[in-house]
Amino acid sequence: MTAAALLQSVLASLPEIVVVTGACTLLILGQFVQKRQEHFLVWASVAIVLIAALATLMLAGEVRPAYTGMFVADRFAVFFKFVFYLATVLTFLLSRKYADIEGIGSSEYYVLLLFALSGMMIMASATDLMSIYVGLELVVLCTYVLTGFLRRERRSNEAALKYVILGAVSTGIFLYGVSLVYGLTGTTQLDAMAAAVTGGPLDPGLLLAVVFIVAGLVFKVGAVPFHMWVPDVYEGAPTTITAFMSVGPKAAGFAVILRVFLNPLVAASDVWIIVAVIAVVTMALGSFVALVQDNFKRLLAYSSIAHAGFAIFGVVAGGADGIASVMLYLLIYSFMNLGIFGIVTMMRNGDFSGEVIEDYAGLAKQHPGLALLMLLYLFSLAGIPPTAGFFAKFYVLAALVERGFVMLAVIAVLLSAVAAYFYIRIVMVIYMREPERTFDPALTPLVRATLAFTAAGTIGIGLFPSWFLRLAQHSAFGG
Amino acid sequence: MGLPLLSLIVFTPAAGAAVLMFLRSDAAVRWVALGVTVLDLALCIAMLAGFDTTTHAMQFTETRQWVPAFGINYALGIDGISALFVFLTALLGSTCVLASWVAIDRKVKEFMVSLLAMEALMLGVFCALDLFLFYVFWEAMLIPMYLIIGVWGGDGRVYAAFKFFLYTLAGSVLFLVGIIVLYFNGGETFDILALTAQDLPFGVQSWLFFAFLVAFAVKVPMVPVHTWLPHAHVQAPTAGSIILAGVLLKMGAYGFLRFSLPMLPDASVYFSTLMLSLSALAIVYGGLLALAQDDLKKLVAYSSISHMGFVTMGLFALNLRGLEGGILQMFNHGVTTGALFLFVGLIYERTHTRSIADYGGMMKAAPVYTAFLALFILSSMALPGTNSFVGELLVLSGGFSANLAVGAAAVLGALLGAAYLLGMYGKVALGPASVSARFKIRDVNAREIAAILSLTVFVLWVGLYPKPFLNIIDASAKHLLAQVHGEESGP
Repeated sequence: MTAAALLQSVLASLPEIVVVTGACTLLILGQFVQKRQEHFLVWASVAIVLIAALATLMLAGEVRPAYTGMFVADRFAVFFKFVFYLATVLTFLLSRKYADIEGIGSSEYYVLLLFALSGMMIMASATDLMSIYVGLELVVLCTYVLTGFLRRERRSNEAALKYVILGAVSTGIFLYGVSLVYGLTGTTQLDAMAAAVTGGPLDPGLLLAVVFIVAGLVFKVGAVPFHMWVPDVYEGAPTTITAFMSVGPKAAGFAVILRVFLNPLVAASDVWIIVAVIAVVTMALGSFVALVQDNFKRLLAYSSIAHAGFAIFGVVAGGADGIASVMLYLLIYSFMNLGIFGIVTMMRNGDFSGEVIEDYAGLAKQHPGLALLMLLYLFSLAGIPPTAGFFAKFYVLAALVERGFVMLAVIAVLLSAVAAYFYIRIVMVIYMREPERTFDPALTPLVRATLAFTAAGTIGIGLFPSWFLRLAQHSAFGG
Repeated sequence: MGLPLLSLIVFTPAAGAAVLMFLRSDAAVRWVALGVTVLDLALCIAMLAGFDTTTHAMQFTETRQWVPAFGINYALGIDGISALFVFLTALLGSTCVLASWVAIDRKVKEFMVSLLAMEALMLGVFCALDLFLFYVFWEAMLIPMYLIIGVWGGDGRVYAAFKFFLYTLAGSVLFLVGIIVLYFNGGETFDILALTAQDLPFGVQSWLFFAFLVAFAVKVPMVPVHTWLPHAHVQAPTAGSIILAGVLLKMGAYGFLRFSLPMLPDASVYFSTLMLSLSALAIVYGGLLALAQDDLKKLVAYSSISHMGFVTMGLFALNLRGLEGGILQMFNHGVTTGALFLFVGLIYERTHTRSIADYGGMMKAAPVYTAFLALFILSSMALPGTNSFVGELLVLSGGFSANLAVGAAAVLGALLGAAYLLGMYGKVALGPASVSARFKIRDVNAREIAAILSLTVFVLWVGLYPKPFLNIIDASAKHLLAQVHGEESGP
């Protein structure tokens, strides 16, 4: 690699470098932070993300391939990086008070989140199976540790263990697929792979490799049949980490899926039938199993499985609109899901867990403002207009119908009607039941700001979707 | 283009709801809510005063870009079909506030906010000229209505609210896919007028007809998807019942008028016999069920199913008398059944029982109440001189020329109506006074009379001099009929 090419590569990956360097610095500085000065950690982490965001914005003007085709900084990556920044910053803001209550005040918490962020950023930019792998592992290694961060809680430990074991299996499957691809085509670059197979009939071995890679990726977004870890890990992890995982790494997984699945190699191989089946089954399973959950975090875990299913419908639709619909869906999902997890986080105070649905009985009576926010997020998750969730759903359906998949669209909406049931059930608990005991929400100015911001996004994108729609369409590739 | 009158009409209640959020005392909340609904009614009267009855074209139109990428606009406008319903919605809005004045005694502010939000969304539905905008209003109504039933309803409110929500949601999601299919088949536009001008192949039309039918039939509600209605009605607070019966049920029929008939004319003609049969079934079945009820609210709820059967029958008779009668009957049903629910609510506030067997000899205890009740009962029975007579006569004459058997079934339904309504009135108002004497019932007060009178005016006005109302409908109904039968008509 020449010096000029290296410089170009460094420039293209500047945001990643900022985050990694920042995280390393914070790791050292964190050792010197006294008790009661932990605010510093929050602000320093937020500052690092903001600098990275600024760098991303400055580099967003053109497509910059880097590191001999393993990495690219394009608009598609920029869009996803902003979703990650959003998820990470809001997680930082939510974490401060929660960390106090749970007694997890160490600086590693913030550092690990930053490393996970860098991994997600690499995933969004990766154009080679190897760099995808690096990003992927960076994310999951950090989230393994973060899941088990409540060291005193058995549930947290168990979740982490389960996550590590299942995660390792899926990594193995993914790597096996990668090695098959390399063996058959002699390359791991997505574009080169496509070039290697155009023309001739598709090698059945290659198809098998694709299936393995698909399986590895599907695990990361929590789609059926690799969804089993989701409820346990979501329930066991600290709530702030659950919030983060349900948005950030999931979006990163979709970024990779979009790049891989909509690659000509895969597009040529009728793999969309598999994807369509995965979408239907994922959504059905998430929606139906969520109906019977009593634990709010588990319910949200199944809800996030169902939402992943809905987003995969956008992948099935394919094309520029299909890609853009998934991207917009993930952006909107970040707002509403972080909002609702913000409320769950805040419910954890004193001897109140905020995890049992019964805890929310009569919330409307005691805290009408919070109840109203919750109502907003829940109706948005259910996809009722004029919230953003409706528009997300609408765009995916429009992409499906445009491609002629009317039957799939019908299945998707019917399943989303099933899913509406459990969101509405929570609204019922909040509004139509008497409070059993009083509680004091752990509201800090930071949490308030987070909730206000996510609420503004949820209602704002719903009423004025135009700008965000253009952004997503502008950022999608292949259009 | 001057004042955006329709936007004002739609958003006045919404702005009112926002203002209410900042008020502290319940009394202030009630008065401001009343003021806002009366103001909105005044705007609607101004709108009707300026309404041109000689044309079927959309009037007071406003268009602004909303989501250009999909050609979605914020487009409002009304023609003769929607004008009456905009007015009806505003009229019932103030009635609802008056009906909830003392009936709602907890979380008054939240209730009035929901009520005003509901009114804004319903007005939006009737004014929308963009399919996407229409759907947003249509679907958003679920939220306040769910809360109105579920928070302020009776003992079984939670189940009723759930059932209401899921039935209507399941219906409308298919409608959503239908809308998107229509978008891609109809030249990639959501403009309702442009879509009506499209000529879709019959296969697409019939597919869409059923997708839309599910949504509209649930809202009407038509048998067999009517089962949510009695629950919702019985559990909802009085204002909720008035909204449900007065406006919400009209939305389904309005959907047929605005989408199914003009956009899918071939399918509408092809399936009209099916629709007529379903209507006749609703008329007779609803009447029989009403006959068997002991609960006042349930009786009125089932009678609604029967009466809405007349409406759909009129629409799918696909001739002018049927169509005009159906539309007028929608308005009449809103006035009359809205009032009947108000009456049930008034008496329930005093006695806390809805069982017909608990009443008797009300004539003595509450003469004014029973006198008004008699008028509305007669109206519901479609006695000459009342509003429903005009509508029902038109519908029956339209129905008979469309299909003899269906017309005959409808007459049977009308007879059933007389039976259950007179039976109910006999037991409640006449009968031995001893039964209801233990309740010490007060007669209606001035506030309640105001609410009743505002509706009484229309019972008599439409009944004795329906011409102005039919004039509003006429041009648009003729144009709609021409669209269905594939003939072009002048403006």
